[in-house]
Amino acid sequence: MSAWAQDDLLAELDAIAPPAPKAYAFATFKGTRIINQQSVELPAAGVGQFVIGHRFGALNDKPLYNLFGLDVAQIRFEYSYSPVKWLNFGAGRSSGSKTYDGFAKVRFTRQSSGPGFNWPVTTAYYTNATIVTTPFADGFDHFFTDRMAYTHQWLVARKMNEALSLQVAPTLVHFNLVQTPAESNDQWGVALGGRYKLTQRMALTADYLLRINPVDQTHNPLSIGIDIETGGHVFQFHLTNARSMADPQWMMQTPGDWTKGDIFLGFNITRVFTHKAPDFR
Amino acid sequence: MKKTLFLSIALLATLSASAQKLVSRDTYVHFFSETPVEDIEASLKDGVGLINTETKEFVFQVNIQSFTFEKALMQEHFNENYMESTKYPKGLFKGKITGDVAFSKAGTYTVKLVGTMNIHGKDRPMTIPATITVSKEGLVVLESTFIIKPTDHDVEIPSLVVTKIAKEIEVKVKSTLRAN
Repeated sequence: MSAWAQDDLLAELDAIAPPAPKAYAFATFKGTRIINQQSVELPAAGVGQFVIGHRFGALNDKPLYNLFGLDVAQIRFEYSYSPVKWLNFGAGRSSGSKTYDGFAKVRFTRQSSGPGFNWPVTTAYYTNATIVTTPFADGFDHFFTDRMAYTHQWLVARKMNEALSLQVAPTLVHFNLVQTPAESNDQWGVALGGRYKLTQRMALTADYLLRINPVDQTHNPLSIGIDIETGGHVFQFHLTNARSMADPQWMMQTPGDWTKGDIFLGFNITRVFTHKAPDFR
Repeated sequence: MKKTLFLSIALLATLSASAQKLVSRDTYVHFFSETPVEDIEASLKDGVGLINTETKEFVFQVNIQSFTFEKALMQEHFNENYMESTKYPKGLFKGKITGDVAFSKAGTYTVKLVGTMNIHGKDRPMTIPATITVSKEGLVVLESTFIIKPTDHDVEIPSLVVTKIAKEIEVKVKSTLRAN
């Protein structure tokens, strides 16, 4: 009995140790947005997040005169808070069409591995309501609700491995008011997105919205970027044909065309604030 | 009579066998990284430990993802970028207690834990000081404070954050062990 080898002790430890807890996929994406598209990520419970987004002028609009668009920028800022780990809500303001919005994201399933049943994907519902505050130019009287549009997305993502994550999101945008009778109030699409980690702190990202019933003279938004993580911040730099940052606008009303050089340089900067810390001592 | 004798021998054997092992399922581990720029600390309360009182061999193990930080983002970076806890989910210290300690006698004993520390998948021989307090009720409390160097375990710290993460990280352990 005294000839207890350490490996036996180790085996015994495994026997008394609680079963390995379920391992949930974390950091499927670096940010709560891939670029323009929301990701399945939420700030942690008790954490608030401030995001500033910039989209500069088009690269094909007098590039040298406007310093590749840097002289003309659209800006968005938003703040959101997660009271619990599965819920985040917030409000934002985008300078394009002077748009205010409120949004919420609710996570339903988490991709996991371990004992018992495991979800293969993380899923979340994202919704956003926008109010455009620029004056109507059509000379008609309008209801306040004419200014509103609603976005609904069912986000489904999988962290394929440590480097690659993919996301697909059925999308519906409802416009209370559309410009022509030919336009549908309900505009549908499927958003695709992904990221590929180049290093521990840098990743390639892309998102695209394939629209089902698009409006004439608008294009599917495509964005390509890099995420850079520096401790407390995430910097997202990208090129996109969608200049607006309010959801209904970049999703369904993008006039820019990549093939014509309507490309905008942009960035998002994310900073989190811990309002309620867990017991960490 | 024969039956009773057999039973009492069996019972005795069980008792003495179990008395050899001390078990903890709620070992507390806290670490602290102090630099002029930023202090980082985290703790967990669900480490497991096992001591064989006869051979004085020990094993302690923690789940890296159990460490809770003040800032959730720090915790994510700790797991994703530094500890790579998906790949290396556990921290393990195993070895032998040297020095005088009588687990059956109440008192406080100053000992050394000599063994192998495995963090981030990398083994490192270590000797750390510890005190073992045995109460009258037979409860055994092991306490230790020691230093871990990230570089010893191939934890890569990029130059961008080199001023925020200490080169020597202070670890405190408190483990309450009971006869299993």
